[in-house]
Amino acid sequence: MSFIEARGVRFAYDPTDDEPAREVLHGVDLSIEKGEFVALLGHNGCGKSTMAKLLNGMLHPTGGNITVGGADTADESHLYEVRCRVGLIQQNPDNQLVASIVEEDVAFGPENLGIEPKEIRRRVDDALKSVDMYEYREHATYKLSGGQKQRIAIAGIIAMQPECIVLDEPTAMLDPRGRKEVMDTIHTLNREKGITVVLITHYMDEAVQAGRVVVMDSGTILMQGTPRQVFSQVDVLKAHALDVPQASELAYRLRALGWQMPDDILNEDECIAALQVCLPPVSAGKGEAT
Amino acid sequence: MLSDITLGQFYPGKSLLHRMDPRMKLLLVVAVIVFIFVASTFTTLGLIVLLVLTAVLLSGVPFGQYAKSLRAILFVVLFTSILNLFYGSGEALVQWGMMRITMDGIRRAIFVAVRIGTLIVCSAVLTFTTSPTQLTDALERLLTPLRKLRVPVHDIAMMMTISLRFVPTLLEETDKIMSAQKARGADLESGGAIQRVKAMVPVLIPLIVSAFRRAMDLAMAMECRCYGISARTTKMRQLHIGTLDIMSALLVIVVAALVIVGNMLLPGWM
Amino acid sequence: MNPILETKGLTFIYSPGTAYAKVACDHVDVTLYEGEFLGVIGHTGSGKSTLIQQLNGLLRPTEGQVLLRGKDIWAEPKKIRAVRFQVGMVFQYPEYQLFEETVMKDICFGPKNQGLSEEEALERAREAAYFVDLKEELWEKSPFELSGGEKRRAAIAGVLAMDPDVLILDEPAAGLDPKGRDKLLSQIRRYHKARGNTVLLVSHSMEDIARVADRVLVMNGGKMAMLDETPKVFARGEELEKMGLMMPQVTRMMARLKQLGYPVRGDELTVEQAVEELSALYGKGGQAGC
Repeated sequence: MSFIEARGVRFAYDPTDDEPAREVLHGVDLSIEKGEFVALLGHNGCGKSTMAKLLNGMLHPTGGNITVGGADTADESHLYEVRCRVGLIQQNPDNQLVASIVEEDVAFGPENLGIEPKEIRRRVDDALKSVDMYEYREHATYKLSGGQKQRIAIAGIIAMQPECIVLDEPTAMLDPRGRKEVMDTIHTLNREKGITVVLITHYMDEAVQAGRVVVMDSGTILMQGTPRQVFSQVDVLKAHALDVPQASELAYRLRALGWQMPDDILNEDECIAALQVCLPPVSAGKGEAT
Repeated sequence: MLSDITLGQFYPGKSLLHRMDPRMKLLLVVAVIVFIFVASTFTTLGLIVLLVLTAVLLSGVPFGQYAKSLRAILFVVLFTSILNLFYGSGEALVQWGMMRITMDGIRRAIFVAVRIGTLIVCSAVLTFTTSPTQLTDALERLLTPLRKLRVPVHDIAMMMTISLRFVPTLLEETDKIMSAQKARGADLESGGAIQRVKAMVPVLIPLIVSAFRRAMDLAMAMECRCYGISARTTKMRQLHIGTLDIMSALLVIVVAALVIVGNMLLPGWM
Repeated sequence: MNPILETKGLTFIYSPGTAYAKVACDHVDVTLYEGEFLGVIGHTGSGKSTLIQQLNGLLRPTEGQVLLRGKDIWAEPKKIRAVRFQVGMVFQYPEYQLFEETVMKDICFGPKNQGLSEEEALERAREAAYFVDLKEELWEKSPFELSGGEKRRAAIAGVLAMDPDVLILDEPAAGLDPKGRDKLLSQIRRYHKARGNTVLLVSHSMEDIARVADRVLVMNGGKMAMLDETPKVFARGEELEKMGLMMPQVTRMMARLKQLGYPVRGDELTVEQAVEELSALYGKGGQAGC
């Protein structure tokens, strides 16, 4: 059995005064192995954020079930275990830091778990080093940049020593520099600590770097596979108003014009290499083209 | 800008005062503040000023920071001083009708100014060298006996920590919303009191909505980090009263004793 | 073209005269012309926010002038509100400024502050709602019931309804998914065409700027680093990357092809332009045997 298993997961939010119960997930099957880096892609309202909250038991499925390391997330007696094994990072970096000082915030989780003070100290230092924020341990949290705040939030989860982190659009509110900091941090954690990563995003360049891409659309899984498999489906993605890396798109459009471009271009280097094969040698120049 | 008002004034450092147990620091500062008011002569007040100045020197925080907090209340100091200036008894040095300034009044004015100034600097020493979380932590531990009376001390401390954490965030947000509404032509500056309160509605409603949204996010983040899931919680920072704390306490006790004795022995304002 | 908004030696210093003094805007001279679409890029802390907030009098310059149709906006400080109606400003995450009972009332807030009658304000609000595709059934709803994207558009309509001669948008698409972003950008472009007024768009995304702007202003370290027609600015890719700005992937690829000796221009900003250029040069592409 996989580390995380979702079988036929349905979810409906409780009805409100104005709205009847609204089902946002209609039977999702998803398995995530230990150490994987999975990107969950789709636009707003496709159910990917709900999926994130289901994975660590913040919400319980209204149909089907989810297990984390064999433990059912809906079973209250596993609550503690599930939360410790799967950490959740939200979009807004300002709203998930609890304390005014960096290291005191990172210590919050372990303190709630009743861990010995010396061990907390060690974990906090380790966690801060793993997100490259150790020098900032005594700084005030509100003065940090968005990317730094988000890395502190990640350190706060790492200090609880989870096996998996689910990140719900962690870079949506950051500038390009902050986005890069956070993405580098996530990749390092996955590579060096073997932490399983589920990254929810709508940035294609972030999804391209994942081991597996899962595309969601209106509450179901549209397709999944390696980034190469997924992004070769340019027409399907475009039909669902999803972005495609520009390298893939350029290759796709040229192929549509009859160019002999491969159909699995993922990045700049591959695209340039393919173009070099297609185009006449440089010395031949413009004149001989067609 | 509004966000310049920072309540978290903590100034990170490694000085003697930073290393003191926050519980002891809190208790001693309260004691010193009491004695600022007990001291009734220039000599005894001077002793306390010396004590507080020593603390300022030991805190390793630049004087500019203290000057800043003094400047913030300059108006209050001036106002009370000037009020006191006219309250003195004895022979008038200057007189316009009912208003008269006496030697006694001048003494009062200076005394009050020094008193308030010392009070501010003394509490600044605490807030500069102790992080807000340490402070609430100290308070929580000092109040622990109240748990027996079923006072939810841990939750109250948590509330304080969160408020401290979110004050700067919400101030910044207020600033942003005010700018946004001004850009839509809201007039937040002119008009009478009622008009002004009414004009604040477009600022207050978004602020409250945003505070709720933040609260929901935060509640979820706290749950994800296992808040309230286990009956047994610990603290990373272990507090213990060390030699440094005992020495400081002794110093404060000596000064306090001198103040009491001085008050009794010294004549009048001396 | 006639100049509409000019800055002359515009300088802004935060906390002047103290140890914390910070020059956020350093002798900037920019001229905006009637009817143009100007893009502004620069990373966080480059001074672009400080610059735009001086353009509508939310910040008063420490030194220098802002001239609206040749007149210093601070000539009569009491009339600064009138300037804000002519230079409209949409802040980042503008949905956080919604406060009225209904969407329509909220959009009317600006026009009413301008002193328009109820009917006139409503007329303006309807028109603005049309520009951002806000459906009629949403008009009488509470703004807090709308979806994220709808809220964003309602808030933008609140500024459009003031019918400003210059419209400034600060990261209007931040946090939206690709679908929402594309929709919003095309609405802004449509509005600009229909109204023929001046639009200034601040964005981190060079792709977005490349698609809409006639000219681009690049801010770096509080100073104006470049101001030129869009393709000319983007042709200086290396300089931009040195300032920490990421070029569109397709522009980088075309620049590389040029470096390799292919006769492409190297300043193509969108996939469409690149495809056009390549197929114009090479037709069906590729040499025989490819």
